[in-house]
Amino acid sequence: MTVISLTRGGAADAAGATPPRRRRGRVALARLGGGLAVLVPIVFLSSFITYWLGALSNSNPAATILGQDAATPAAVARYDKYLGLDHPLLVQYWNWLVQAVHGNLGRSYFTQIPVSHSIAQRLPVDLSIAILAVVLAVLIGGTAGTVAAIRRGGWFDRGVTVVCSAVSTLPAFVVGIILVVLFAVSVHALPANGYVGPTSGVGDWLSHIILPALALSLQVSADTARQLRTSLVQVLEQNYIVGAKVRGLPYRRILVRHALRNATGPALVILGIDFPQMLAGAVAAEAVFSLPGLGQLLLESAETRDIPVVQGLLLVICTFVIVVNLVINTALNWLYRAGDEVGT
Amino acid sequence: MSGRRRLTGPGSARRLPSARIAVGILAVIAILAGFGSMLAPQDPLTINANALFQGPSAHHLLGTDYLGRDVLSRLMAGARLSVLTALEAVGIGLALGAIPGIATVFVGRWFDFAVNRIADALMTFPSIFFVVAVTAALGNGLVQAMIPVGILLAPGFFRVTRAATLEHARAQYVEAAKLLGASKLHVIRVHVLHKVLPNIMVTTASMTAAALLTVSFLTFLGIGVQPPTPTWGGILSSDLDYLSQAPWAPFIPGALIAVTVGALNALADAFRDRSGAGMLVLPPLIHIDPSPERADGHRQSQPAA
Repeated sequence: MTVISLTRGGAADAAGATPPRRRRGRVALARLGGGLAVLVPIVFLSSFITYWLGALSNSNPAATILGQDAATPAAVARYDKYLGLDHPLLVQYWNWLVQAVHGNLGRSYFTQIPVSHSIAQRLPVDLSIAILAVVLAVLIGGTAGTVAAIRRGGWFDRGVTVVCSAVSTLPAFVVGIILVVLFAVSVHALPANGYVGPTSGVGDWLSHIILPALALSLQVSADTARQLRTSLVQVLEQNYIVGAKVRGLPYRRILVRHALRNATGPALVILGIDFPQMLAGAVAAEAVFSLPGLGQLLLESAETRDIPVVQGLLLVICTFVIVVNLVINTALNWLYRAGDEVGT
Repeated sequence: MSGRRRLTGPGSARRLPSARIAVGILAVIAILAGFGSMLAPQDPLTINANALFQGPSAHHLLGTDYLGRDVLSRLMAGARLSVLTALEAVGIGLALGAIPGIATVFVGRWFDFAVNRIADALMTFPSIFFVVAVTAALGNGLVQAMIPVGILLAPGFFRVTRAATLEHARAQYVEAAKLLGASKLHVIRVHVLHKVLPNIMVTTASMTAAALLTVSFLTFLGIGVQPPTPTWGGILSSDLDYLSQAPWAPFIPGALIAVTVGALNALADAFRDRSGAGMLVLPPLIHIDPSPERADGHRQSQPAA
């Protein structure tokens, strides 16, 4: 239910009266500096919270690994030293982070499989679902939002509003179950569970991920549609749209070049805000459709308190969220700058 | 969206039919949460091997599940755990979010910067991953699981409260009060608190909806509850295992969750309309823009010029 409204050209306004050339350089520098000042603390804080959770768990990894009988105090102390657990928390955290940056997330306490291997093995499942879900959300939400805004007040617009409100009350796992009942149990049109890699046939792969992706995308589609409709209605009332109409430009061109370009920003922001929830929804989709993804790995390792796996997963997921948001930030800046240069 | 909706007179929330329906639904849910297990027509734990997967009937109004237990009774008895845990999470989020939200505006820039970064960092954690990781560390209980849920709700409360406080703390009467020698605490107590309250109420309603969804999902995954204990999410989860026998079963708890969440959302909208609290502008999750007006993170949305 987040409603967003951005005004265009924040950075350019702020720089004020300095000559354009110098202004651009200074803005770029300030953006970089301001960006790092925001980004660096976030990266360190989220990774520290992630690591700290493991320390908080109060589990005794050495005793767990060695087993009841072999866990003599001397052996435990030796193993702690081997794992680097005899250092202060901050030193441990730093060592862990440096290793993580090099792609080494440690080994599972129980299976001794490197955490990065387990994650790399499961990642394609969630990536497939998430990417397809984003594509579906942009297609469904984008179309619905645009058409609703153009035909404002019409039956389609009212329908979109009602459907969006209804969808926002349905969590992804309930939507998933409904989809299973509709398409897999009643009609037997699509498989109800399991995952097949794209290497063994694209059609097969798609048929296994389409329902989970649909379940995942519905919420985001609704948010995107609602946001796009709001901002597009706002943009369509602007003077430059009226001006373009008066100049006799074709409506399609006005819609695409003038209106949609300026209205997509807020919808992009929504995608960024929804992205962490989409990853959470991916866990739901995995649970409903029994897919062997990161969520299953998380649940399994949480149950056995396999701390390195949990930490590694959380770190990877946070990195994903941060990267996606950076991409969206860049896209927004590009969108607004392009808008300024077009001089709409 | 033109930022503030038109201020409507007091009491208009009660005039709106959707708000009235929402309050009615929530009252029923509250009664269920309080006395559900007493009001339930049958024992929610009684197993009846002769009545598996029955459809709705006079004896079992909503049918029976895979162990022949009465679904209506299980839903009624499950209301307490589902609702109270959601409220616990919202309480934690409110305390951890709203208080720093007001404080950051008055304490100083460094404090503001630090708390904002913590809020940003927390927002990079997808709820389920964080909650499951915390239960892995702290132990698997629904009450323990609500602490991380609350912690993750806190940044939302924080952002909204801070944005609203910023708006009111810049008002001229606050400046006048400061010139007259009013302390920060006095300003907060007299001038800011009741102005920010509508925003907090709106957020509380929508956050309760979010918390309820998270709780249902956690219980659906089987985190924090042991099997015989009925919860809404748990009932859904067991229905999923027997779809071929009873494909209609998941729709009942699913609809219950959806209706409750919808009522909470409608209540949030009604609060918003009534108080004129306005739509708050949420910036991108990780917000990189050096311009000072955007660097503080929030602005009330303005009608575009």
